[in-house]
Amino acid sequence: MAEPILELRGLSRRFGALRAVDKVTLAFERGRVHAVIGPNGAGKSTLLNLLSGELRADGGSVHFRGEDVTRAPPDRLSRLGIGRSFQTATVLEGLTCEETLRLAAQSCLRSSMRFFRPSDRYPEVNARAERALGECRMTARRSARAKDLSYGEQRQLEIGMVLATSPQLLLLDEPLAGLGHDEALAVVDLLRAIAVEHTLVLVEHDMDAVFSLAAAVTVLVNGKVLETGTPAQIRASPAVREAYLGEEEP
Amino acid sequence: MTARQRVQALLCAGALALLAVAAVGDRFWLQLFGKAMITCIFAISLDLLVGYAGLVSLAHAAFFGLSAYALAGLTNRLQLVNPLLTLPLALAAAALAALCIGWLSLRAAGVYFIMVTLAFTQMLFYLFSEAPWFGGSDGLYLSQKPLLSILGRPLLDLGNRTAAYLFIFAALVLSYFFLSRLLRAPFGRVLAGIRGNEQRTRALGFSTARYKLTAFVIAGAVAGLAGYLDAALYGFVNPAELGWRQSGLLLMTVLLGGRGTLYGPILGAFLLTFLEHYGARLTDHSSALIGAVVILVVLFLPRGVAGLVERGGRG
Ligand SMILES: Nc1ncnc2c1ncn2[C@@H]1O[C@H](COP(=O)(O)OP(=O)(O)OP(=O)(O)O)[C@@H](O)[C@H]1O
Ligand SMILES: [Mg+2]
Repeated sequence: MAEPILELRGLSRRFGALRAVDKVTLAFERGRVHAVIGPNGAGKSTLLNLLSGELRADGGSVHFRGEDVTRAPPDRLSRLGIGRSFQTATVLEGLTCEETLRLAAQSCLRSSMRFFRPSDRYPEVNARAERALGECRMTARRSARAKDLSYGEQRQLEIGMVLATSPQLLLLDEPLAGLGHDEALAVVDLLRAIAVEHTLVLVEHDMDAVFSLAAAVTVLVNGKVLETGTPAQIRASPAVREAYLGEEEP
Repeated sequence: MTARQRVQALLCAGALALLAVAAVGDRFWLQLFGKAMITCIFAISLDLLVGYAGLVSLAHAAFFGLSAYALAGLTNRLQLVNPLLTLPLALAAAALAALCIGWLSLRAAGVYFIMVTLAFTQMLFYLFSEAPWFGGSDGLYLSQKPLLSILGRPLLDLGNRTAAYLFIFAALVLSYFFLSRLLRAPFGRVLAGIRGNEQRTRALGFSTARYKLTAFVIAGAVAGLAGYLDAALYGFVNPAELGWRQSGLLLMTVLLGGRGTLYGPILGAFLLTFLEHYGARLTDHSSALIGAVVILVVLFLPRGVAGLVERGGRG
C-alpha cells in the first residue's frame, strides 16, 4: 500500500457559526490524483486554503511526509514541496510568461536575497523556467504579458507557476473553472501529463474531468467528508447521488 | 530606436551635460544641478518602494533627514570629518531607522501603511524641531564639510564646489546602477512579483514580508545617501528636511516622472527642481504653479513624463 504524502487529522475551520471545514480526516497517497468534489459552499476552497497555509486551522492537524505542518505559513509550505493554484486565475500583472516562470523557478535558489547578478543568468533558474514553460505548453507565448493572455492560457500559466517551484504535491483549485470546451480539454490533457510524475489534489466541478483523471474521489458536503472511494464507487453511491450528483444531472 | 535605446541615449546625453556643467564650473549652476542630482538619488530610492514594491511610503524624508543630522552630529560633536567614517555611519543610521520604522509600519497594509509612515515622519519632525540639541527649528550648521586627506594631503574636499559636485554625480551614477542591477536580480524579481500579486508570490515560496522590509531598508539607506550629500553640499541641516511635506513633494516627483522606471523619477527631479527655482522667480505662488503642472501631468500623462519618452514624444 502506498504511503500518504499528506494526512489530515480532524481538520476544522469555522467562520463565525459556520463550520466551513468540519473534522476532516483524509489521506492523500503519493503518486495519485485525488479529487475533492462537492456542491458550492461545501468547503473545498477552504480545505485547500488550510492545506496551503492561506488560512489557519481552528482544530486538527496536517502532516506532510510525516511532519506536522499545521501552523506553517504559505511560503514555507511551498518550499517544503506543496504547490497550489488558485480558483480565480492570479497571474502576476506586469510580468511576461517567461518572467513569471523564472520568478517561480527562483525558488530553487536557497534564497532570493541576491542583489547583483541578473536573474536570467542563473543557469538552474533558466533551466527550470524553460522546463515549466514546456510543461504548461506556453513556450510559444513566452514573451506575452501575463495580463494579455486568454483566460485559458492564464490557467495554463498558473499551473506552470506551480510546476516551476518543483512541488511534490499540487493543490489545484478548479483549474477548469470558466474555460470553454476546447480550452478545458487542453487543460485536462495537461493535467493528465502532469499526473504521471506528481501527486495531485484536484478540486473540480467538471465531473467528466474528475472521473477521467482521478484515482480517488472525496465528496465534501457542508464541510464534512461524505464519502471517499474510487470514481466507480462514488458514481454508484446512493448517498452521493442524493447529496450532490442528483442536483447536477437532470 | 526602441524605447529602451531612447532611454539609454537620453541618460547618456544627460550625464554628459552634467559633466559639462562641472567643466564650466559656474557657482550658480553647480549648486542648482547639484541639488537636482541629490533629488534624483532621493527620488529613485523612493521609486524602489512606490514603483517596484508597491509601497507608498511617506516616511522617506525621515531617512534623508536623519542621515543629514547624523553627519551634522558626527562633525560638530565628535569632530569627525573623514567621509570614509561619516558616510557609512550616516547610512547605517538611516538604514537602522528604516529597519525600525519599516518593521512596524509594514504590519499595516494599503492606506494604513501610508498613515503609519506619515505618523512616524510627523513624530520625527516634531522631535527635531523641538529638541534643543538638534538646533530646534533653526537647524544646525556643519562646523566643517567632509574632508578626506591622506598623510596631510587633501584627497577629497567636499568644501570645494566642483569636487562636491563631481562626488554627487558619482553617487547618482552608482545609485542608479546599483538599483537597476538590483531590480533585475532575483531580489528585484520578487519585488515585481509582490507588486503583481503578493499572495501569489508568497505561495511561490517567498516570504514577502522579509522582501518588503529589505526593500524598505535599502531604499532608506539610499535616501540617507541623498541626505548626507545635501548636508555636505549646503553645510546646513534643518527639520523641514525630515517632514511629511518633503515626503509628499518627493512622492509627487516620482509620480510626475513616472514610477516604476527609475529614469522617470530622475526626469521628474530635474523638472521639479527647475520649476521650483524659476517658478519662485516668476511668481510668489510657485507652489500653485507646481501643483498645476502635477495635476496636468497626472491627468494627461498617467505614466508620467517617462510615458512620453517611451512613446517617442509622439504625444
Ligand atoms: N473568508 C471567509 N469568511 C467567511 N466565510 C467564508 C470565508 N471563506 C469561505 N466562507 C464560507 O465558507 C463556506 C465554504 O466556502 P468555500 O469557498 O470553501 O466553498 P467551495 O466548496 O470552495 O465552494 P465553490 O464550489 O463555490 O468554490 C461558504 O459558505 C463560504 O461562504
Ligand atoms: Mg471554491
